[in-house]
Amino acid sequence: MQLIQKTFLVSVGLSLVCLAGCASKPPAAVPEQAIVGQVPADPPKNPVISAEALKADSKSIAVTDIYFKKEGKNLILIEETRHKTNNSVTTTIAPKTIEVDADKADASALTGGANSSAFPVKFTNLADPKATAPGTAPVITPVDPGTNSNSASNVETQSQKKSGYESKMEYGELRYLANPIRGLLIKSGYKVVQAKPSTVTPNQGDEYFDIVKRIKAGDFPDANYVLYGVLAEISVVDNIDDIPGTKSSSQQVVLEVTVDFNVVDTQSTQIVASFVASGEGKEVRIDGKDNAFKPSMAKLMKLASLDLAEDVRKNLAAQNFITNNPGSAGYERNLKRRLDDDASTLKVYK
Amino acid sequence: MKMHTKTIQLSSLAIFAALLVGCSGPQVRYGDAKAVETVNANYGSTDLQMIAEAMTRSLLQSKAISGSKDAPIVTLADVKNKTSEYIDTRVITDKIRTQLMKSGQVRFAVSVSEMQNQTEELKRQNQSGLYKGNTIAKTGNMQGAQYRIEGSIASIVKNTKDVKDVYYVFNLNLINNESGLLEWSDEKEIRKTATR
Repeated sequence: MQLIQKTFLVSVGLSLVCLAGCASKPPAAVPEQAIVGQVPADPPKNPVISAEALKADSKSIAVTDIYFKKEGKNLILIEETRHKTNNSVTTTIAPKTIEVDADKADASALTGGANSSAFPVKFTNLADPKATAPGTAPVITPVDPGTNSNSASNVETQSQKKSGYESKMEYGELRYLANPIRGLLIKSGYKVVQAKPSTVTPNQGDEYFDIVKRIKAGDFPDANYVLYGVLAEISVVDNIDDIPGTKSSSQQVVLEVTVDFNVVDTQSTQIVASFVASGEGKEVRIDGKDNAFKPSMAKLMKLASLDLAEDVRKNLAAQNFITNNPGSAGYERNLKRRLDDDASTLKVYK
Repeated sequence: MKMHTKTIQLSSLAIFAALLVGCSGPQVRYGDAKAVETVNANYGSTDLQMIAEAMTRSLLQSKAISGSKDAPIVTLADVKNKTSEYIDTRVITDKIRTQLMKSGQVRFAVSVSEMQNQTEELKRQNQSGLYKGNTIAKTGNMQGAQYRIEGSIASIVKNTKDVKDVYYVFNLNLINNESGLLEWSDEKEIRKTATR
């Protein structure tokens, strides 16, 4: 009887031990991350920029400021006064130039457009020989009421007024949009080198955008690649809309920038990446119209440039020029480069 | 004389008791909020509970909600009252919203009727200049709803001398805001008959 009791107790004990063992199963071992806080880099997949090439020898890139081309129109008023005496003719020409926007000129009195009251003078292309030919009604307007012929003194004075426009192209670089792009390339492990500033010549044409010419001229001496962008459009939109379900309205001021980018290999002049990127800086003010809200253009520009850089990053990653996940490799390479190359860099020895 | 005194005493006691009862006012007692209410054939609390329960169950089983990886963001639009009686339809949608929220399968964005408070709060934080920059709930970061819930309640009422028959149909729709597609729709029918 005692034996049965003991056997029973032992079996119960064993069962309990088994149960406890099952219940407290240790969690599966989680593989520890190799380096805490550092993510291994994705290898670049661009056939031109192989992972090995980027790892072995850090590639350098120059990022130009954003080129732009702006069309402007100058309204010109020319007043010509001619004094004629018996022996000689004296002519005095007094030109007056007023700068107007191209769209305003287009919508002006030429067509009786919206700005016809603001710009009552007819705009005519002064470069067009037909428009400026003598006797062409819209251009030459002899209007001087004081025009007279003084037969007594035998002096004749004649005044003429001409009006028209001159088209002009302005070329240049926007110097404040490209820095966030340079920053992202540094993060990606590229060595970003300084480009020589581009200079505009008199009567500059579209050859200003000829990047190959600049590469050959040695404007990017140490760069393996050049990322250059041409401004396609920049616009500021100011809209006021009611907020449904409220008595309020929202004023939205948006600065939008669209840039056409190319990445060129300086050795082969091959385009290794090409895309259009855009950035947007937006400021929203509730009931802004009631208190005459004025947005900060500096803030909008900063937001637009950061947004543009983010779009550039996406496009460069999509074309495998940089990795979506640069990880720590880029930082390490840049740090190593700074410590190795630059003698003036503060070095810490352990 | 003794008998007369006793009568006066008893009468006074009775009057006192009657006064006590009279001063105590109406009797109040708590009832079961879920109990079936059949006071009359008009729209009542039981109808509200039946509709909300049926619609929530059906909506949670819909592909749009149950098949979604993350809890989708939904907003409540109007439920139109097409009946001849006054029904606060907002109570129906609020009840459905509460039950859906409790399920954890849906997140709700503020609806149009709640936008005034939301706008004022954002304005206060962003435009008063009183708040620390990194603690401000910034304008422009509200999340848009993927879906909106809207519907209607309609009724058919028929009366005779002794019988009143009411038929309610509550219809609820889930609409994808981006595509405009109707992702889910269901209805709940209720018939109530009152006899004298």
